[in-house]
Amino acid sequence: MSTFAEIQAMLTSKFDVKPELIQPDAKLVDLGLDSLSIAELIFDIGEKYDIEIPEDDLEFQTSLKDAVALVDKLRAAKAA
Amino acid sequence: MRRRVFITGIGLVSPHGTQPEAVFERLCAGQSAIRKLRSGTEDLGADCLLAPSEFSIEGVIPKTQSFAMDRVAQMAVVAAHHALHRAGIVREEEAPVPSEAGVYFGCGLGGSQAIQDAYRTYFERRSRRPKPTTVPLIMANAPAAHISMRYKLQGPSLTYSIACASSAIAIGEAFRAVRDGYVDSVLAGGAESMMNDGTLAAWEMLGVLAKEHPEGAAASSRPFAVDRSGFVLGEGAAALMLESEESMRTRGAAPVAELVGFGCASDAHNLTQPATGGQAQAMRKALADAHLAPERIGYINAHATATPAGDNVEIDAIKQAFGAHARALSVSSTKSMHGHLVGAAGALECAITALALRHRRVPPTAFLRNQDPACDLDCVPCVARDVPDLEFALSNSFAFGGTNATLILRRA
Repeated sequence: MSTFAEIQAMLTSKFDVKPELIQPDAKLVDLGLDSLSIAELIFDIGEKYDIEIPEDDLEFQTSLKDAVALVDKLRAAKAA
Repeated sequence: MRRRVFITGIGLVSPHGTQPEAVFERLCAGQSAIRKLRSGTEDLGADCLLAPSEFSIEGVIPKTQSFAMDRVAQMAVVAAHHALHRAGIVREEEAPVPSEAGVYFGCGLGGSQAIQDAYRTYFERRSRRPKPTTVPLIMANAPAAHISMRYKLQGPSLTYSIACASSAIAIGEAFRAVRDGYVDSVLAGGAESMMNDGTLAAWEMLGVLAKEHPEGAAASSRPFAVDRSGFVLGEGAAALMLESEESMRTRGAAPVAELVGFGCASDAHNLTQPATGGQAQAMRKALADAHLAPERIGYINAHATATPAGDNVEIDAIKQAFGAHARALSVSSTKSMHGHLVGAAGALECAITALALRHRRVPPTAFLRNQDPACDLDCVPCVARDVPDLEFALSNSFAFGGTNATLILRRA
């Protein structure tokens, strides 16, 4: 499964985010999540891929597209 | 001016189920919900006597709220949901309408599973990064907060943490707040869930828990019996909608029972050993608060947890508070069947007392085959009893730390 699809699954299963809202250009803030939910999501992503996401790199205004790119970059760096 | 205060809806998440009438029937049938369950893992755990509660959050709590709720808060919201629906305040398929109602809830410990998870992260994984929701998961005011949020209750949302007396006092204080006009309605009750193995191990070390009885796990909670050995931990939540008479009549709601008295007094004696003086005083104060002579009480739902040291102290305290009338009382401990719900005990037992008044039927003290001579009152052994003239009943909750609470209810 692609990173985008995995994050999409986390959003729908843990937070019941409506699938139609989960678009690459959607910002995290547009998904109907509050700040605590976003913090939890970032934590879960970090746990899932065993990567550490720097605090300022992923937040409210980050688009899903950019979030996926960041995660892939961190995963690749870890594998190297 | 003192207003009358009524219970207009009851919601339960209890070891005997979530439907109050069915729960009451099972209690009157002497059914025990106590089981022996494996706690922890095979290499780090134990078989424990427990009274667990089953429940579902499906259709009640959305995931956007439930991910930040430990089991105790989830139980609280489900109980609140049912109480508010039965009171006719929240209707199916309708979004809750904001109100000035308060939430007064008891909780002894808080998010127990979350505490264990956080410490595992720290000590096992050597990590300073527990999940972000850790603090709100653990905080003892989470049950009340989530109820307030879910049902838009904008009055005071308060949490009383007084061990075994938490929810009796939450109800008592809610009763006073409504009676004295501080608030027109309050969702009052309690919740407790601490069946994670670390917490159970701590309870075991205190030396107050029951040993498995030769008759079997289900028969191990034996208040007032000669062979009682301690209490069985339960989990659950109970919510009671309390309203002023005017609020109830304006809405055209029907009462389940009326709250008429609350008394509270401290032993100032010992951390875990009870004393008769403080217990008797709580009962006397409740009677005075209700302007009732002791002779008006027909039934006492006792605190009696089945500890060797505790049950006889309560019997002595009842004799002190009631004098000659003590012998005419029916006194039963339903902890014989549902175990000790600690922070939720007072609320569950208040609900049971309300149902006893409604049905004019008192549940038994189950498994009371050999009564301790030191507990020589009528403890309704084994079989439920109809009390056709039952008008007033009393519920006791006596806590570790010595705080004693007594509630008095009237049939409505």
